[in-house]
Amino acid sequence: MKKTSLRFKIVDAFYIAMMIIPFLVGIVLKVLTKPASEGINITGAGIYFTIPMPLQDFPVTESQVNSLLVSIVILFFCLFMTHGLTEKCQLKRQHFAELIVEKVDGMVNENMGEFFKGFSPFIIGMMALSAVSSLITLCGLYPPTSDINIVGGWAVLVFILITYYKMKCGPINYLKSFTQPVAFLTPINLISEIATPVSMAFRHYGNVLSGSVIGVLIGTALGSLSSKLLGWLPGFLADIPLLQVGIPAVMSLYFDIFSGCLQAFIFAMLTMMYVAGAFDIDTYKKIMEKKNAKKAKKHASVE
Amino acid sequence: MQNLDVISVNIWQMLASLANLLIIFLLVKKFLYKPVKKMLETRQNAIQSDYDAAEDAKNHALADKEAYEEKLRGAKAEADDVIKSAVNVASQREKEIIAEAKEKADGIVRQAENDAVLERKKAEEGIRKEIVEVSSLLTEKMLEREVSGADHQHFIDSFIESIGEDDAD
Repeated sequence: MKKTSLRFKIVDAFYIAMMIIPFLVGIVLKVLTKPASEGINITGAGIYFTIPMPLQDFPVTESQVNSLLVSIVILFFCLFMTHGLTEKCQLKRQHFAELIVEKVDGMVNENMGEFFKGFSPFIIGMMALSAVSSLITLCGLYPPTSDINIVGGWAVLVFILITYYKMKCGPINYLKSFTQPVAFLTPINLISEIATPVSMAFRHYGNVLSGSVIGVLIGTALGSLSSKLLGWLPGFLADIPLLQVGIPAVMSLYFDIFSGCLQAFIFAMLTMMYVAGAFDIDTYKKIMEKKNAKKAKKHASVE
Repeated sequence: MQNLDVISVNIWQMLASLANLLIIFLLVKKFLYKPVKKMLETRQNAIQSDYDAAEDAKNHALADKEAYEEKLRGAKAEADDVIKSAVNVASQREKEIIAEAKEKADGIVRQAENDAVLERKKAEEGIRKEIVEVSSLLTEKMLEREVSGADHQHFIDSFIESIGEDDAD
C-alpha cells in the first residue's frame, strides 16, 4: 500500500472530526437545554425556539436540529469515504464505498428496473438519513425519526414522486387509474393513494418511537424493581439501580440498532416499490412513440 | 424547555425535513455516488484496455510464432535442397573422377604394355644380334673358315624364330 502523505492524513482527520463533532454538539445542546427527567416522561421533541410563519408557526425542535447534525455527519462521511479514491483501490474504505454503491445499485436495478437508475443516490441518501437518525439515540440524542413530521416529510416526498411518475403517462391516464378496476371503487382508490405515505410515515415513526418508549419503560421498571429487591442493601448500595446495568443495553440492541436499521431498509424498499409500481413503462413507451411520431410528422410538414 | 406533543403535525417541519432529504440526496449523489461511479468506470475502462492489450499481444505473439514456423519450415526445405544438390554434385563429381581415373589408369596400362612390347622387341633384337654374333664366331672357330655371313644369318634367324615360338608357347 502506498504511504499516505501528511496532508492526506490531516484532511482525513478533519473529516473524521467533522463526523464526530455534530454528535458532541448535539449532546452538549441537550445537556444545556433539557433538564434530567425522573420517571416516565414521554414527550415529543423539545422546542428550541419558534419562528412565526403563515398558517402555522415553525418550531425549531430537537428533531430539526438533530437531522441537520445527521446531515452534516453524512456529508462528511461521504467525503471521507471518497477521499483518496483511486482505481487501484489503495484504501480499505474504498471497498466499503464501492460495496455501498454497488449493492444499492443492484437493489435499485432489481426492484425498479433500468429506467430508475438515477434513484440509487436517492435511496442511499434516504437509507443513510433514516438509519443515522434512528441510531442517534445511542448517543442519548432525540432521534428525529421518532418525530412524525420528519418521517412525514419524507413520505410526502415519496408521495410526490409516486404522483409524478403516475402523471408521466399523462394526466388523463392518471385520473383514469382511480376508476380501475371498477368505477365505484374510486373512493377506496383515493383512500389507498393517500394511505400510502401515511402508512409509510407512521410505520417508521411508530417503530422508532415505540423503541424509545419501551426503552424508557424498561429502564424505569428495572429501576423500581431494583429499589424494591435490593433496597435492603446497606448504605449507598441501595440507591444504585443495579438491575439497570446491562439489561437495557441488550434491549436497545434490538429496539434501537436493529429496528432503526430495519426501518431504514423497509422505508427505502417501500419507496422503491411504490415509485416503480406507479410507473407504467409500457404505456409510457407507447406515449413517447406517439409523441415522436407526431414530432417527426411536424418536422416533415415544416420542411 | 417546552416539548411538542408526541403526535403533532406541522407543515413547516415536514417541509424542512423534505428539503433535508432532498439535500441529502444531492450531497450523496455529488460526494459519494458520482465519484465512486466514475472511479468504477475508469477502472472498468482500464481493465478493458488491459485485456485488449493482452489480447493484442497474444495475437501478435501467435502471428510471430506462425511466421517463425513458416520460416523454419522454409529453412528446412532449403537445407534439404542444398544437401540434395550437393549430394548430386558430389556423386557426379565422383563418377567423373572415377571415369577419369579409369581412363588414366587404362592409358598407363596401355602405355606400359606398349613399353613392354617395345622393350621385348628391343631385347629380342639385341639377343638375336648377340646370338648371331656368337654363333658366327663359334662357327668360324669350329669350321676355321670364313663363312658367308649372309648364309648363316638366314639359317640362324630361322632357328631363333623357332626358339622364340617355343618361348612364346
